Amino acid sequence: MVTVGIPRALLYYQYYPAWKVFLEKLGAKVVVSAPTNKSILNSGVMRSVQDTCLPVKVFFGHIISLVDKCDVMFVPAVTSLGKKSYNCSKLIGLPNMARALIPESPPILAPEINCEKGRYNLYRNIYAVGRYFTSNPFKLKKAVEEAWASNLDYQGKMSDEGITPLQAIDCQLSPDVNSSSFTIAVIGHPYIIYDEYVSHRLISQLQKKEVKVVTPEMVSPEELDAATRRLVGVPHWLFESEIIGAGEYYMETRVDGIIIVAAFGCGPDSMMLGIVQHRARELGIPILPFSLDEHSSEGGLLTRLEAFLDMVKRRERI
Amino acid sequence: MKAYLGIDVGSVTTKLALLDEDDQLIASTYLRTRGDPVDMVKQGLREIKKQTPREVEISGVATTGSGRYLASVLVGADLVKNEITTHAVAAMQHISDVQTIFEIGGQDSKIIVIRDGVVIDFGMNSVCAAGTGSFLEHQAERLNVRIEDFGEHALRSENPARIAGRCTVFAESDMIHKQQLGYPLDDIIYGLCQSLVRNYLNNVALGKEIQPRLVFQGGVAFNKGIIRAFNEAFDSGVYVPPHNELMGAIGAAILVREEIEIKQNHHKSNFKGFGVSDIEFKTSSFICKACPNLCEISQISADSKVLARWGGRCDMWERVSES
Repeated sequence: MVTVGIPRALLYYQYYPAWKVFLEKLGAKVVVSAPTNKSILNSGVMRSVQDTCLPVKVFFGHIISLVDKCDVMFVPAVTSLGKKSYNCSKLIGLPNMARALIPESPPILAPEINCEKGRYNLYRNIYAVGRYFTSNPFKLKKAVEEAWASNLDYQGKMSDEGITPLQAIDCQLSPDVNSSSFTIAVIGHPYIIYDEYVSHRLISQLQKKEVKVVTPEMVSPEELDAATRRLVGVPHWLFESEIIGAGEYYMETRVDGIIIVAAFGCGPDSMMLGIVQHRARELGIPILPFSLDEHSSEGGLLTRLEAFLDMVKRRERI
Repeated sequence: MKAYLGIDVGSVTTKLALLDEDDQLIASTYLRTRGDPVDMVKQGLREIKKQTPREVEISGVATTGSGRYLASVLVGADLVKNEITTHAVAAMQHISDVQTIFEIGGQDSKIIVIRDGVVIDFGMNSVCAAGTGSFLEHQAERLNVRIEDFGEHALRSENPARIAGRCTVFAESDMIHKQQLGYPLDDIIYGLCQSLVRNYLNNVALGKEIQPRLVFQGGVAFNKGIIRAFNEAFDSGVYVPPHNELMGAIGAAILVREEIEIKQNHHKSNFKGFGVSDIEFKTSSFICKACPNLCEISQISADSKVLARWGGRCDMWERVSES
């Protein structure tokens, strides 16, 4: 049986359930790297070029940690998922960067997912990956269909029940039962806000302070898209709706405050962050931007967080 | 007489302020932290004790500043509050029509935007310390000028030198260059003040709605050169409150008074008393090997009893200390 390694980073948080079903239906065994820790981060930082963003560095760390645990690595190159909307170049080039930076890695399976190139191209790319595991096209077709169904199921579960990807993946069906009257929306790419090492446990720190936390995944993709269109029109970046759409959605539903988390050095985020911040000022909604990098001290983050919650609560009282 | 103590342990200085029930200052100290916050808190308490009349009873203690958690364990605080909130509270108490607070301290600088008596926005410098007190101090040292005399020099300047303030490294090379060209010392010093203000406004205050009345507080507000630079940048000018350096500590004391008054005497202060100054505290650290994160856990103990631990990515060690 072939063992396939999936790094617990970047698109893992969006597509892991679908990838898992797809690979397992094709007869593979799936291993996932451990949650990010210091040694994963350090090994990733050591290998990658300085200018790349933190999540990509973390991603390489995960690949390194999987090197002798699998026969093949699964790193799809998600280029585009809709008309004229593209992913960040670092994510498009991810498999190639991984091959270059981590030569000791087992072979990397990297189907290109590019909806701009049309349906036929997509099928062909998926088929090419499937051939690694099976020569039976019917088995492959079935695997794809089941993977797609599980993806829809995963998204639906998160938005219907108001749970995070971590909860949905681990099947802990306990939504946050916080009875707090304060709702704070934590906005950011899932690979930042749900990576507890990178985000310094932001979500659980907030919950500990008796705040109800809502995140982009708790809104259905259709609603996020619609909100994005209301604010900026047709999105340009692939994952724009989880920042701009979610920001706009939660601002319209009048949450008590917004914490927007971005990785230092992320180009698209720096633009989107500005748009959401501008909009929040317009509507008079408290907003706290966080830019995360490698520094390990939580002091500055905690001070800002405490001050932000004080501000939101004092405003509320008046 | 009841009194409330605020302790502000910053990265460069430690401030203590004792207020009575009407928020009037009874006693205060302003000390350099010198990398040893434990000792400075003890010394500060000794000073406060000396200044305090005997009939005063300490009914509540609050800590703030970057060393607030450490200080709260040392003295037994009733409230631990971040420095943004305490600075805002103190300013609003003293200057009722304040709308913007500039606060520049040793290691960080903040802007706090207030409307109708409520904080509506704030900003803090990120990793860069170019717009802070330590930047000025460092440059003063280079120029062989005492930081206390910095302001006087700046006020004498007529043609300030333009110095890049984006980064300390650039500022330094720029400054040396200007020195070599023979610029007078006063002009270089004022140029530095202007570059700090420029950096502050372009960095920390970027995108914030700055409306008068502007209040400038924190240790750097002692520096007349910076005040001059701010006054040139804003027509309305900036107002420096008396006790600008104590505002954090004063805010903390006000907040703990409010909180205890809400509880109406059902509350007994956790304050361990001025005897804290004579206790021998020991700080140490170790690396937790429970998971690959290898967190550095620091702990503080007195009489071989561990008082508190922190520094972990999880609550494992913090919980141990409670039991």
